[in-house]
Amino acid sequence: MKAHNLVSTLVAAGLLCASTLASAYEGDWKRGRIYYRSVCTACHAAQAGGSIAPSTMTKAEWVAYLQKDKHAKGKDSLKQYVSKSYRASIRAQNKAADKFAELPDEELSEDLKAFVIKGAKDGDAPASCS
Amino acid sequence: MERIYIFTRFERFWHWAQALLIIAMLVTGFEIHGAYKLLGFAQAGQLHTSAAWALITLWVFAIFWHFTTGEWRQYIPTMKNIDKVVRHYAWGIFQGEPHPFKVTRARKHNPMQAQAYLAVKVLINPLIWISGLAYLYYNELEAAGMALNLGTIALLHTIGAFLMLAFLIGHVYLITTGHTVTAHLKAMITGWDEVEEQRH
Amino acid sequence: MKINLAALLGGLLVAGALQAVEAPAPTKLNTTADHSKFKELQHEFASGPEVTKACLTCHTEAALQIHRTKHWTWEVINPLNNQRLGKKNVINNYCISTATNLGACATCHVGYGWVNSSFDFKSQVNVDCLVCHDTSGSYKKLPGGGQPPVKDTENPPGSGKIVKAIDLAAIAQKVGKTSRDTCGACHFFGGGGDGVKHGDMDTSLASPDKEVDVHMDATGLDFTCSTCHKAPAHDVVGSRYMPTGKDSGDAHMRGKVNKSNPATCQSCHGQAPHKAGAQPAKLNQHTDKVACQTCHIPQFARGGVPTKMHWDWSTAGKLSPEGKPMLKTDAKGHVIYDSRKGDFVVAENVTPEYGWFNGEVTYTLLGDTVDKSNGITLINALGGSASDGRSLIWPMKVMRGSQPYDPVNKTLVKPHVAGNDDTAFWKNFNWEKAIETGMKAANAPFSGKVDFLKTEMYWPITHMVAPKEKAVGCNECHTKGGRLDKIEGVYIPGRDANHLVNLIGWLAAGATLAGVLLHGLLRIVRRKN
Repeated sequence: MKAHNLVSTLVAAGLLCASTLASAYEGDWKRGRIYYRSVCTACHAAQAGGSIAPSTMTKAEWVAYLQKDKHAKGKDSLKQYVSKSYRASIRAQNKAADKFAELPDEELSEDLKAFVIKGAKDGDAPASCS
Repeated sequence: MERIYIFTRFERFWHWAQALLIIAMLVTGFEIHGAYKLLGFAQAGQLHTSAAWALITLWVFAIFWHFTTGEWRQYIPTMKNIDKVVRHYAWGIFQGEPHPFKVTRARKHNPMQAQAYLAVKVLINPLIWISGLAYLYYNELEAAGMALNLGTIALLHTIGAFLMLAFLIGHVYLITTGHTVTAHLKAMITGWDEVEEQRH
Repeated sequence: MKINLAALLGGLLVAGALQAVEAPAPTKLNTTADHSKFKELQHEFASGPEVTKACLTCHTEAALQIHRTKHWTWEVINPLNNQRLGKKNVINNYCISTATNLGACATCHVGYGWVNSSFDFKSQVNVDCLVCHDTSGSYKKLPGGGQPPVKDTENPPGSGKIVKAIDLAAIAQKVGKTSRDTCGACHFFGGGGDGVKHGDMDTSLASPDKEVDVHMDATGLDFTCSTCHKAPAHDVVGSRYMPTGKDSGDAHMRGKVNKSNPATCQSCHGQAPHKAGAQPAKLNQHTDKVACQTCHIPQFARGGVPTKMHWDWSTAGKLSPEGKPMLKTDAKGHVIYDSRKGDFVVAENVTPEYGWFNGEVTYTLLGDTVDKSNGITLINALGGSASDGRSLIWPMKVMRGSQPYDPVNKTLVKPHVAGNDDTAFWKNFNWEKAIETGMKAANAPFSGKVDFLKTEMYWPITHMVAPKEKAVGCNECHTKGGRLDKIEGVYIPGRDANHLVNLIGWLAAGATLAGVLLHGLLRIVRRKN
């Protein structure tokens, strides 16, 4: 019985992984760049927290930061700023939010992730703010 | 003193509207010329062009009026007694002498005055109009093959403008040379002039 | 419990299996070819040419098309004056000359391996497809041949800095249309750094907002370079060697054959583009004399990246107290002195200078006579005048500097600056040796004497178009001492006037005023009596 359960678990896990991979979306770093520059740096360049250029952190640090999903020292969630509802709320003043208003949250998240990873301190093309 | 009605409603309206427009055009025109900065080149240019069209419209009415009412006859140049008029302005006026010219409905301007106004209408106005329209439609003229040097157009227009300015200064002063200082001004507002009783 | 767990796992298994079958990757709509599905690209590539070989199995004509263009040959003959131009031949007042410096300069060549004259220009696999067609943003080319790093490489050699290897297969599988990023990988970095050369092209155009450029606005029109600079058969239009000074044609229409340059403003906007606003008709009357760029690019280098405005080579060679090459920076961190290059002046938000331009560019080439005593030597003279009927008033960046020349033979020189050898200036800081190497390679005489002369180079400005609300105001040109102050041959109201007429006019008006005031005064005085 135990061995049978173990095999079933492994097969199930394997198939689940395969299924997620099969519908994987590859982040568009250029879209991530537009959104990041327009929405994130809109606040950060002027005030809160100083420069948040992708090159301020390494790839590992970015992955960890995105995983933790804590924003403003834990006051709110990072995902919130990528959400469709947030985009809808700022689209009147923000052209990037308007342009990407209909994107699914997961896609835009992947786009942003692709951008910050690529632009990380140890990434393919470290991106700082000019 | 006898009261004669010498300036009709239309003529008074024409006069004052024209005065306002000409002053506006001089002020904006010299700004476009680069003499000073007041409204900014773009604004001055826009106002100048708008005023120009308004003035042209006004003149179309005025010219029509002159011909249909026969008022154009007021401006037929005459040298009759002009020497007396010139002598009055140069000498007699300082002696307190009365003006030698008697205003009538048929001849409301003295000969010198009439000739001055005629010169404006026939010399200064066409110079400014034609050079101004050439300035405005410079590109269209060029496209039609009648290219003129913009600098030359500007020169003619500027000469016309200075002549108009000199005329305006003289005209505004000469208003005060009626039988009282404000007599002519009152006439151009109310339409009525007071003259010595005539014995005909 | 165990049975429930098994049922749960079984359920998940089925769900997982169903999911695996029901969710293929979404159909790409922006291309008919998902290159990640091609077997030809699904193996490791050990070099750039290997990738190109794979591309050519389908794109059979591509490399031969590239061979016909000046992106490949770096050479072009100007049909107007028969000058032999192109990056291979011209001299400029930045890094001066590519010849003998190919190890550095040809990093930006659309090929692999051009380091000296033995490069095979006929080879198809030497064409670099990825530099333009990469969409991953990860592609890199290393100096010394423009080869991609297939393994971790130390660059510059001996510096301790490592350039990480890139995965050519992954990059090849993601190829797509060119972008501002790929064109900009080279064209933003001309002159040796970001924004150095052009003034209107730097990394701020990779993802600009509307304020920086209305066409390339990433959240708006998002034009790529090729939206204007069309490239039929890979031959990109819009050359700086033979630009269109005055486009008098109408907007290009689909289906209507039009051989004129599709990269001009007029090719989209026509001759009467102003439709709304304050005085559209009046503005349209300017298009026969004033280039669109003059009013619509009020300043260049507006994106936060400064451009180089002055380069004085004569002060190069000063080493630090330890005898090492040094850099000096200004308060903002921008380099203003480099031992290898001399003193720089950098600037942002620069107001252009203006001049008549008809599209004819005449270069001062190697062998042309120059002399310090002639004043300023023009690297490229822009033809044009108010009266030739083919000129417009254009904005330009004027690059000024001081560069080496041969005062005995009276020619400009092509120094060998880049290289790990005994004569390269950037290593040895000796002009005579560097120039001797360069001139020998060019088969040109060199007297052995070096002096410096002042040069100017003209770069017509055409990118970084500002929003129309920010266009140059009327007052800025229609005034004395304004932007167009130095433009000759045209009457500009507000700037020009006949001074004699002005004098007489104001005197006449003044005299009239004085006269009437006197007359009136006299009357008042006499009346009192």
